[in-house]
Amino acid sequence: MVASEVRALLAGREGQPDQLIEVLQDMQAHFRYLPQEGLRMAAETLGVAPIEVYRVANFYKTFSLTPRGRHELTVCMGTACHVRGALRMVDVAQAELGIAAGETTEDGAFTLERVNCLGCCALGPVVVLDGEYHGHMNPAKLRKLIADTRSADADGGQPDAQD
Amino acid sequence: MPKISTPQALADLRDRLMAARNGDARATITLCAGTGCQASRSLPVQAALRAELERAGLAGQVQIRTTGCHGFCEQGPLMIIEPGNLFYCRVTPEDAPEIVRRTIAEGAVIERLLYTDPVSGQQVAHEAEIPFYAAQERVLLGQNRAVDPTRIEDYVALGGYQALAKALAEMAPQEVIDAVQAAGLRGRGGGGFPTAIKWQATRDAEGAPKVLICNADEGDPGAYMNRSLLEGNPHAIIEGMLIGAHAIGASQGYIYVRAEYPLAVEHVRAAIAQARELGLLGEGILGSDLCFELEVARGAGAFVAGESTALMAALEGEVSEPRPKDVHTAEKGYKELPTTLNNVETWADVPLIIREGSDGFRRLGTPSSPGTKIFALTGQVKNTGLVEVPLGTPLREIVYGIGGGAANGRAIKAVQIGGPSGGCVPESLFDLPVDFDSLREAGAMMGSGGMVVMDEGSCMVDVARYFLDFLKDESCGKCVPCRLGVDRMLEVVTDIAEGRGTLEQLDLLEDLGETMSLASLCGLGKTAATPVLTTLRYFRDEYLAHVVEKRCPAGVCRGLVHYTITPEACTGCGVCLRSCPQNAITGERRRPHLIDQELCIRCGICREVCRFSAVAVA
Amino acid sequence: MIRYITLTVDGATIRTPQGTSVLDAALDQGICIPALCHMRGVEDIGVCRLCLVEVVRNGRSRVTTSCTLEATEGMEVLAHSPLIMRLRRNVAELLVAEAPNSRAIQDIAARCGVTTVRYPFHHADCVLCGRCVRICSEMWQAGALGFVGRGAERRVALPFNERPEYCKRCYSCIDVCPMTIAPCAGPMAVGEEYLCAKCASQLTMTARMPDSCVWCELGKGFGCARQTPAARTRERTAAR
Repeated sequence: MVASEVRALLAGREGQPDQLIEVLQDMQAHFRYLPQEGLRMAAETLGVAPIEVYRVANFYKTFSLTPRGRHELTVCMGTACHVRGALRMVDVAQAELGIAAGETTEDGAFTLERVNCLGCCALGPVVVLDGEYHGHMNPAKLRKLIADTRSADADGGQPDAQD
Repeated sequence: MPKISTPQALADLRDRLMAARNGDARATITLCAGTGCQASRSLPVQAALRAELERAGLAGQVQIRTTGCHGFCEQGPLMIIEPGNLFYCRVTPEDAPEIVRRTIAEGAVIERLLYTDPVSGQQVAHEAEIPFYAAQERVLLGQNRAVDPTRIEDYVALGGYQALAKALAEMAPQEVIDAVQAAGLRGRGGGGFPTAIKWQATRDAEGAPKVLICNADEGDPGAYMNRSLLEGNPHAIIEGMLIGAHAIGASQGYIYVRAEYPLAVEHVRAAIAQARELGLLGEGILGSDLCFELEVARGAGAFVAGESTALMAALEGEVSEPRPKDVHTAEKGYKELPTTLNNVETWADVPLIIREGSDGFRRLGTPSSPGTKIFALTGQVKNTGLVEVPLGTPLREIVYGIGGGAANGRAIKAVQIGGPSGGCVPESLFDLPVDFDSLREAGAMMGSGGMVVMDEGSCMVDVARYFLDFLKDESCGKCVPCRLGVDRMLEVVTDIAEGRGTLEQLDLLEDLGETMSLASLCGLGKTAATPVLTTLRYFRDEYLAHVVEKRCPAGVCRGLVHYTITPEACTGCGVCLRSCPQNAITGERRRPHLIDQELCIRCGICREVCRFSAVAVA
Repeated sequence: MIRYITLTVDGATIRTPQGTSVLDAALDQGICIPALCHMRGVEDIGVCRLCLVEVVRNGRSRVTTSCTLEATEGMEVLAHSPLIMRLRRNVAELLVAEAPNSRAIQDIAARCGVTTVRYPFHHADCVLCGRCVRICSEMWQAGALGFVGRGAERRVALPFNERPEYCKRCYSCIDVCPMTIAPCAGPMAVGEEYLCAKCASQLTMTARMPDSCVWCELGKGFGCARQTPAARTRERTAAR
């Protein structure tokens, strides 16, 4: 399954080594991580040495070599958010989820990440959950956000989904 | 729309679009949909408005224009209603019915949605009168409020691409460079390098094709000027690059946008497609010889990719590691081709120079730093947001005049300017003008525009540690002075922050800092020590307190403070107990609570949530 | 036809074929500029920063690595100015504090005038000089090794952490690695690192060495001293 999906991503990019980062970004978006098989296929199709592909996959922060959780919670650690207490958000998130930043919960539900500045500095502290931005966060709001996401999961998906 | 192939056709199109701009609409609602306002839910506001207008039968008579970032993000979602230049802020979807019923239909003002100036306490009804905006010269940013970034028609209607037409029809390539030279444009990405010199070097270099790059990797934490320009007015950058292509003889361009700006990527891609459709990108642009193709490349999460040689490596599909710059990239850059790389704001200034002329550009700013600059003013100040002022404006005016002064009643101590490569400027130096040169003597640098205001509640040792922590992850790690230097500096500053520091270590920081600034391979390493060196220079007393007295004056450094609950003030409400991430607080209801010092990690959450000021930090 | 150009290093005028780096030009003439990541036959990457020099032009000087700088006609280079000696010593100090368990690193520190280490010793097994990577990818064109990761996480690794079949176990990587040479008094245990400073070729910070070179044994595979016939003649003449 992975092989055919990767082939689709690589279509039209044969022998184009400078497409490597774009390909990996598409792969990351599609699989939510970079499967090793996909990386090897990319090396061969694009004409890039395997060590180079491995290097690029490890260098950039948006790439993950292990599967990410269903929900990605990102805490902004920019300077403006820092002076407004971003570290406290990380403390709360780590305590609530039981993992350190950069890790994924055992049940595969949450991945916690720190990011250096999303550009919403006036709204700090900012966290992003599954692509949605939440500004003016505080510990209570963050706890609620995590709890709401957990209960929505338990209810089987979207809170307002109908059977 | 059919392709435009002459400057006259462009002028005709502009006239047609301008006439049709507001159609038959009796009112126009401008709604900001930049990333900041979207985070404050401006899209649901838009949906609610549309629904209400439908319901009221006004959908055909009222125009909603969604724009990019206005830069006043803390007050978002922002709404401007014409006629009347009425300004509403912090609008919620629930306000939609009232807005339609009272303001649109009856022309009445809803007081509670008006902006309240935090300094005077007065309500302000009209956008033009808001002190935050009025004190600025929003030459570049101002256009964001008038343009829907997803519609090229808006940009053309307001005169967009006229500067390109003029350059192509009336100016030879060298004349364009001369105009930029006369205007004195200097790079807005932080380097302040004269743009015309870079362009000339690329023009004169041997090799083809020549390449233009727009550096939109804005990685400085606390800076989002480029985000707003790209999201809100991508065509300004495209036009700037086209003019540059004509001047330099370039035929290929890239806009490298960092991964953390998905909306900017989306808008720039759409803008490029629309420009191409109109014939403004591709072959024989506007009937001239100019052939130029433009592409968007996405970053993948690396601050160091903002360094020009590292960015070019990333464009080549490699890791974004800087390369030794013994040969300028203007001669040998992307794939060893002559390359001009400029910042987003620099490119945006180019159409302005062609349109207004060099004298027009020099109307604002200083002789050696002409023009305006956009700053991201954030932190412990009343009015946070994007501020565009003439270069040479004193820092004090930006922080107090526009920023409104301290936000929390604590005194302002410093402004951190220029991101991780910049420095901390103390309050005593706030009369310094903000331009490319004046801050260098103070040991800082203007940088790309990030300005974070810090008050007495910030510890400068902690600030130094924060930046070293950032650089430790973001350094590419290639060269010894940066990789090992940042690591050791962090080791030393951590010692100091946790009460193990010695006076010799302060000298060590200065010696190591000087070595890093001269011996590192790239700009990141060369400026990595600046936050430490400036805080050491201007806030030495704080360092000494940490080293000699083992005390953190601001009460921030977790190793040197401890939190206790004052029994007399504690009501036993239990809020702190529930909020503590370490479960370090115990106590019964209505009885004073207790913090277990062994478990406490000094995060400060209990102090923040306590409504009775019962948590003391010492 | 080889075109030669002339430049000055520390006041000494030297000639070198066009296209040579300042470092190679200096070493060829017996002017010692310390270097670690430099290896003849592979690309210079300028990461160890030991070969720093000042290039003077129009009264202004710029600090850069001599290995990545191409020598040009009339170039004025200072390889042993007080500033350079200080920078070099600090860089060497960082290196030896990081990876003291190597004779090569200890030797470089001694040669660069490190007499005290102001940081707690770490016990790194790798200084990321990239010799192994370049010899594998450029000399043998195998590409079985590469730099992976960023900043503090940067390390040398195999693709996907597995030895590929195109690694033929030539062990050139080990041959050129400075960390494989134990300190003179034997390998150091973790927690018992020290600054050796016993190298017979130790130089003091104030010694300037135009036209002579310290032959210091960095171990097999290293050899930074070059005694050209011209330099040897000069030495003999001076001794007379």
